[in-house]
Amino acid sequence: MLLDFQWKLGMAVSSDSCRSLKYPYVAVMLKVADESGQVKKKSFEMTIPQFQNFYRQFKEIAAVIETV
Amino acid sequence: MAGDLESSKALSGLLSGLAQDAFHGHPGITEELLRSQLYPEVPPEEFRPFLAKMRGILKSIASADMDFNQLEAFLTAQTKKQGGITSDQAAVISKFWKSHKTKIRESLMNQSRWDSGLRGLSWRVDGKSQSRHSAQIHTPVAIVELEIGKSGQVSKSPVRMYCSYPTFHIGKLGHGKESEFLCLEFDEVKVNQVLKKLSEVEECISTLMQRA
Repeated sequence: MLLDFQWKLGMAVSSDSCRSLKYPYVAVMLKVADESGQVKKKSFEMTIPQFQNFYRQFKEIAAVIETV
Repeated sequence: MAGDLESSKALSGLLSGLAQDAFHGHPGITEELLRSQLYPEVPPEEFRPFLAKMRGILKSIASADMDFNQLEAFLTAQTKKQGGITSDQAAVISKFWKSHKTKIRESLMNQSRWDSGLRGLSWRVDGKSQSRHSAQIHTPVAIVELEIGKSGQVSKSPVRMYCSYPTFHIGKLGHGKESEFLCLEFDEVKVNQVLKKLSEVEECISTLMQRA
């Protein structure tokens, strides 16, 4: 069960292998509870195109769940 | 010997090999492999500094993510340097960067991603009629499975997602080794709460892109 959904829009400016990165990304932190009630945090990153796909899929879920 | 080092075709191949090694993580591209395949007439002691020079130039260009004006200025400066490059070599390097820039940049971005990525998302919607704990009639539930793992690759092959009502194809984001699968249930309220948050992210992205 999803308890909390936190997000962050970041911009990687520079790294040791690339001084001019300019790479935007979306970082997500999920707080989830399993069946026993134990709470865990899971985090992951998405590129902008990945985020847009993620968003599009959730819109589809919302559209389907509304019609059921 | 110098004539061999000036071969445009060989240089093009060399730059590809260097990019595979430095950016795309292709294993096994050694100095000896590059020399024997591309410059077999050139002795190792002559090849080594030449390779180092080309590697340095390519890394500088990639690190600065040079646009074409910066590239021309940089390469011109390299042709004027003592022990620099020839104008033919500059032309080969310029052509290489123009055609490989996007792919190299993508690899550099991937190298900088250290947190887990979202490799896959699958979902279905169930119409729940009754549950063990309470008599819920017709409460639809979305079951979402997230695949989380390191350095995911994006695949575009569509897979069939099952759903209580019409089945349809959705593009799955990717698949890989050492993934963690997170399975979450959402009722309609929760789906809309998440959707609201995602629309906030989208708004921030639009603002950021407008400023850029």
